Amino acid sequence: MIVRMSKVELAGPRELLEKVLSLLRDTGILEIEPSSIGFIKKIDEVYIDSYLPDKKSLSEKLFLEDFKERIDELLSYLPRIVVRSGYFHPQAIIDTINETLQKHLVTCKGLYMKKEALQKEMSELSRYNMFLDAVEPLLERLKETPDLDVIGLTLKDPDAEDMLRRALARLTDEKYELLTSIAADGTSAGLIAVHKKMSDRIKQALSDKNIPELRFPSAFGGLTFAEKIGFLRTRLSEISDELDMITMQLDSVSVKWGTIYQRVKEWIDERLSLFRVTASVFVTRMCFFIYGWTASEDVITLREQLNNNFNGKVVLEELEIEEEDLGRMPVILKNPPYFKPFELFTRILPLPRYTSYDPTPFIAIFFPLFFGMILGDAGYGLFIITVSFFIFKKFRGKKNVADAARILMIASLYSIFFGILYGEFFGEVGHTLFGLEPVFIERRTAVIPMLYFAVSVGVVHVLIGSFLGLITAVHRKTRKEAILKLMHMLLIIAILSLVASLFGLFPGLMTKPVILAILIITPVLLFTGGLLAPLEVIKSIGNIISYARIMAIGLTSVLLAYVANRLAGMTGDIIVGTVVAGLLHLLNIVIGIFSPTIHSLRLHYVEFFSKFIEAGGRKFQPLKKEK
Amino acid sequence: MNMEKVLMAFAAAIAIGLPALATAWAQSKIGAAGAGTLAEKPELSATIIVLVAIPETMVILGFVVAAMILFGV
Repeated sequence: MIVRMSKVELAGPRELLEKVLSLLRDTGILEIEPSSIGFIKKIDEVYIDSYLPDKKSLSEKLFLEDFKERIDELLSYLPRIVVRSGYFHPQAIIDTINETLQKHLVTCKGLYMKKEALQKEMSELSRYNMFLDAVEPLLERLKETPDLDVIGLTLKDPDAEDMLRRALARLTDEKYELLTSIAADGTSAGLIAVHKKMSDRIKQALSDKNIPELRFPSAFGGLTFAEKIGFLRTRLSEISDELDMITMQLDSVSVKWGTIYQRVKEWIDERLSLFRVTASVFVTRMCFFIYGWTASEDVITLREQLNNNFNGKVVLEELEIEEEDLGRMPVILKNPPYFKPFELFTRILPLPRYTSYDPTPFIAIFFPLFFGMILGDAGYGLFIITVSFFIFKKFRGKKNVADAARILMIASLYSIFFGILYGEFFGEVGHTLFGLEPVFIERRTAVIPMLYFAVSVGVVHVLIGSFLGLITAVHRKTRKEAILKLMHMLLIIAILSLVASLFGLFPGLMTKPVILAILIITPVLLFTGGLLAPLEVIKSIGNIISYARIMAIGLTSVLLAYVANRLAGMTGDIIVGTVVAGLLHLLNIVIGIFSPTIHSLRLHYVEFFSKFIEAGGRKFQPLKKEK
Repeated sequence: MNMEKVLMAFAAAIAIGLPALATAWAQSKIGAAGAGTLAEKPELSATIIVLVAIPETMVILGFVVAAMILFGV
């Protein structure tokens, strides 16, 4: 249901403005209207201005914005650990915290930068480490001498090794040693040992052949290969120790001060939100005025809160809602517990306008009905209700899943009811085992009566939609539109009566009066709705025929159940038959959940709501504490 | 008599078959465009469901006509 809203004006002395805004934020039941149009009378406009913050407020705002920015910066340096909630009031100690923040910012920034630099160095050294790990065993095979130069390289292409060997043999006259090993990342690491005189020529050749030579950082300069390995291991261990130390220091700051800074940040957010709201406040020399919207049921509470806190110095007055206000009034949807889960389906629709209807109760009433009419099997209904009950119990904390399970439970009850009417329990199993007979209709054979039934449901549903559209037009006092809607409904009824009497469903005597009625209604329809009005009627007739899907999809479900039982019977074995029937029934149940859901929703969204729901509502956004 | 039955069955098959193909074609186009839209604007899911579901009316109408042919309404 759309909650009834009130247009309100709050007035009080200017010095109480901040406290009033703070109270409004704490109660969280008033949406402040930034525009004064429709609230201030033309005659009073010369006395009332928008609120402009004084110098003190402005400098406080700037200070808080800067403070918040610095806290954000500090928190970005600290590790993300769960901190306790703080409940102290930071205003009294803000200057002390400001000084501490400055110190922490410098320290933590330094630690963070150092941590980043060490991590970068560690990542680079790890690359060499991977290579050196691979070539370390090779070094033992190479007798290191002062005249020998060792060149490290990585070979991404395994075929490159042969090519390299040929090139080295040619360049060094077979005086070389190439040892290769597979590194941890899968690439081949190589070590070339040649005489120092030939070293430059080899390096040039490697460069020409695009084989990357492993170059070590400048810190490694002058060290032999064996020393490089030792140096690398020591440095990595040092870095690891330093990183542990920095992490511990940052953790310590976070644990000791995280709660405090988080609380101060929340407090600053609250203060800044109040500063932002003041832009929507209006003032005279002595007083302030706040205009806005609140649920009518909350007006008394709000008034009491203001009286209790400000001893009658702040007044709340309910203003008259004018016609031009209806378009901008915020919308709150509130439904009783039975309807509440069905908001899952209406949440995906655009919000209705304040003057329109909440689609939730309609979906809550008709969706399970259509679902039951389509699925219509007591056995399937019992199975789905059991499964959805377990899902509901297991996922109670997850709102959407729990809502879906509750909807399925309600829809399954209707399915059981219609299953009894149709005499279906896992197809004809109910009839075979317990002698279950159809009370109302046997869907599998009575195709045409079922078609009439489905279309009749469509007639009722579409006419309810059109009737609600008529009521909306009457409420909005748009007489021409109301007459058009009425004529539209009458013409649909007349055309359907004519068709029914032509098919022999209604007495033949009715034909002439109905034709006469159509001849009278059509000109009125053309006069009120223009040349396109009859097209709307044809569209509505199409909408009604669309309800034939209730019967069509239901029929497929019945036939699939019938096939499942027949196939099971044909196996001639009780165990195999049960498995076959079980699997096919399970498939039918899965289809039987999705198909009726999608089609019932479609009947609502396309055929029903298009007749009366007006989208384009604005969500109620009260001033409240941000979570 | 048999030929009449064959023709009726054929007519019913055409009555439902052609709209089914048309619906499938329309839904494939709308579905593909809808999937693209949903990637950018998930809040339009209801509109997309409605748009995908609209062509289904064709096959339902075809089904009604086929039933009328077969059952001689």
